[in-house]
Amino acid sequence: MDTSPSKKLVEMRDIVKSFPGVLANDHVNFTLYRGEIHALLGENGAGKTTLMNILYGLYRPDEGKILVRGKPVKIGSPADALHLGIGMVHQHFKLIPPHTVVENVILGLKSPRFKLDVGRAAHEISDLASRYGWKINPFARIWQLSAGEKQMVEILKVLYHGADILILDEPTSVLTPQETRGLFESLKKMREEGKGIVFITHKLEEVFAVGNRVTVMRKGRVVATMSMEKATREELARLMVGRPVLFRLEKESVEPGRPVLQLEDVHALGEKGVPALRGITLIVREREVLGIAGVTGNGQLELAEVATGLRKVTHGRVVVDGVDVTNKGPRAFIEKGIAYIPAERQREGLVIGMNVAENLVLRYYRYEPFSRRAVINWRMVDENAEKLVRKFEIVTPNVRETTRHLSGGNQQKVVVARELGGRPGGKTPRLVVAMYPTRGLDVGATEYVRKTLLRYREMGSAIFLVSEDLEEIFQLSDRIAVIFEGQIMGVVRPSETSYEEVGLMMAGAKRLEEIPA
Amino acid sequence: MVTRWVSVAVSIGAVLLAVFVTAMLFWAIGRDPIEAYAVIVHVFVDPGLLGESMARGVPIVLATLGLIVAFRMNFWNIGAEGQIYLGMFAATGVVLWGAASHMLPPALMMPTMVVTAFSVGGIWGLIPAFLRAKLQVNEVLTTLMMNYIAMLFVDYLVYGPWKDPHGHGFPLTIPFPDYALIPLIPGTTITSGVIACVVVAILVYYVLSRTKLGYEIRVVGESASAARYAGISYMQVALLGMLISAGLAGLGGLSIVSGIIGRLRPRASPGYGYTAIIVAFLSELNPWIAVPAGLIFGGLVTAGEALQAALRIPFSGIQVFQALIFLFVITGEFLKRYSLEVSWGRR
Ligand SMILES: Nc1ncnc2c1ncn2[C@@H]1O[C@H](COP(=O)(O)OP(=O)(O)OP(=O)(O)O)[C@@H](O)[C@H]1O
Ligand SMILES: [Mg+2]
Repeated sequence: MDTSPSKKLVEMRDIVKSFPGVLANDHVNFTLYRGEIHALLGENGAGKTTLMNILYGLYRPDEGKILVRGKPVKIGSPADALHLGIGMVHQHFKLIPPHTVVENVILGLKSPRFKLDVGRAAHEISDLASRYGWKINPFARIWQLSAGEKQMVEILKVLYHGADILILDEPTSVLTPQETRGLFESLKKMREEGKGIVFITHKLEEVFAVGNRVTVMRKGRVVATMSMEKATREELARLMVGRPVLFRLEKESVEPGRPVLQLEDVHALGEKGVPALRGITLIVREREVLGIAGVTGNGQLELAEVATGLRKVTHGRVVVDGVDVTNKGPRAFIEKGIAYIPAERQREGLVIGMNVAENLVLRYYRYEPFSRRAVINWRMVDENAEKLVRKFEIVTPNVRETTRHLSGGNQQKVVVARELGGRPGGKTPRLVVAMYPTRGLDVGATEYVRKTLLRYREMGSAIFLVSEDLEEIFQLSDRIAVIFEGQIMGVVRPSETSYEEVGLMMAGAKRLEEIPA
Repeated sequence: MVTRWVSVAVSIGAVLLAVFVTAMLFWAIGRDPIEAYAVIVHVFVDPGLLGESMARGVPIVLATLGLIVAFRMNFWNIGAEGQIYLGMFAATGVVLWGAASHMLPPALMMPTMVVTAFSVGGIWGLIPAFLRAKLQVNEVLTTLMMNYIAMLFVDYLVYGPWKDPHGHGFPLTIPFPDYALIPLIPGTTITSGVIACVVVAILVYYVLSRTKLGYEIRVVGESASAARYAGISYMQVALLGMLISAGLAGLGGLSIVSGIIGRLRPRASPGYGYTAIIVAFLSELNPWIAVPAGLIFGGLVTAGEALQAALRIPFSGIQVFQALIFLFVITGEFLKRYSLEVSWGRR
């Protein structure tokens, strides 16, 4: 890679940015070159998103200078940024669901190049997509798209606006492994075209897969910038967290106990009223992790919602600890001790306009000690929050901070902390239904969450883990159930199977005849 | 905090701008704006007129406090006006029944009126809540359309079965007996309804910030999917929330017949329920601000009547003034968001 000064696309010098009670960026220096993919690493709340929001004109820095292509600039708004060729894809999608792909892409163009020539724009968008090996229907509506496709639209939007400086904030956290590989191929192509890409992630293997250089942030500061050749996994993890990280999990072998959750021939409808679960029979026992592997959209969400009482079954039975709770509603499930980490934290798992303490009792506010009769006991709510914030190391100035102001990973920690540690009276959950529980978490927090899940398993909880990350599934599960088009293709033990076999079953190409309970 | 001051400054600026534009309008129709504003100011300093202003403020405040509950739950209740009419109907019904049957001791009259007006107004509000929760019917349309039903229903009563037989054919009910009227605070010209407003504001604040229901209302208002996840029943919260919201508007109706007019007549509310929407936004859904803000708007209603009498400016003149305040404040809201980002940058 050419690092001569003339190749500098962006230079950020001594950037300082504070929020009430937080120093988010503390004299940060950051450089991006033409034709480089620059990985930005750091713990949750380290200040990565803030730094990039500054470059994208969403925040003004308190101090510091920004140079783009060697010229000092003031970036007052995303429109200014786009004008300078800077585009950003955010950690949480900002598309408008009822509108089509074209509408979303051309939205915000300063001077529409073709006055409302939607047909032409659609054509250009398809061309642009195919240049990077993607296929997309420009007239599809956003809500119809998968997370991976939405991501693609976000990137297309930025490219369509002519950006050659791309900021991608945790783009892979919602992608399947295949989609991630596809994205990387496209990014490499963009790099060859001379674009500069900032790539924020928590997954070290991804940094090694596409990065040229890496910058590590910690508590608002840059602790290192280095080229990938000089970096090692252990070193990066240590720089990020400030202590060595174990990548191996100690998993004790324990005997599973009584069944906690039993699903018997369960059928249920999906969001659009079509059958999503078609005859699912599963058991999760005490001291056992049941992993659900599958390509997103094959019924995982519906399965998790059936297991937590949020979705009605149209046929079949749901039994928890020997009691039939079929269609008894979510409260019955909460009261039976079923914790649920949902896939979409901002939409479902949190009320981002309410504060951290309020969110930490979202599913438990109606029970003692958080409330008595009709009245909420705010003192207990705050105490609970203080305890969980400490235990799960949630970075927030105080428990009354609006949850929207937390960094993405810390928002996820709020959900995880409530579901794993927020039951009134400090009781451990009977069953944890966890969808992508470590999505958006840094390596340290990921390690902590996985360890906690395993500790609960040893203490007698049942764990129901939905993940696309096969590595996570293999590492944590005692048994793996593979779901395809609303049916279980087979249940296997991680020690007796392979990624290949599970992969075939995920694609529906293989089905085990006998399903061991 | 910076943003707090920006916020207040923008609101005051919006009101001043509305004053200025309205003055231009008065001038344009050939009235002296200075004289017009003198009339308006007079309303707020003359003890007698101040009493009238307060009396007109009470229904606005009560309806506003109700709307705050609905709006916090993201339920766009445009139906306070109709709920007010139902409250007037219920309160009057109790009086007429009491007068005809002699079964209600005078001491129980007012408590019975309060309970009935709250309940009947509230039940009227349950209809759109139920339709929204059960069938996803847009509440803006239902609440708005139900206003006309309520208003015309009251018309029917006062032109028909409830008309005072000794009223020379005017569409009026019999005048209320003294014990069915809201008394003044002893030694003043001010209605004791103002005290009721403060008490209700305290209750609304308490419900919203201290109770499970208040928590649920806020969760539902922020995110329907998070509410579902938390096991909150939308139906239950929407019904309870609207019972309170519309019930308070119903009390506002009571305060019109028992505190301003002393009987029921057609079109007894000159749009208090719509004014309350403006006041709810102006007070940023804060019950503490709603009380003074609503009372000031009561003054504006009185001022409108005074302008009509003194300068022959049509009553709609003051409605234009109200609408302008609202328009500018909404615009100010937009600017506030913008300046909020700027002030972040400058922190
Ligand atoms: N708008 C805001 N208001 C107040 N505080 C904020 C705001 N945005 C960010 N912060 C704070 O700044 C700090 C850095 O947040 P930032 O989002 O940059 O972290 P991050 O490195 O992107 O973390 P993550 O990996 O969790 O996404 C956090 O402590 C966060 O609470
Ligand atoms: Mg972030």
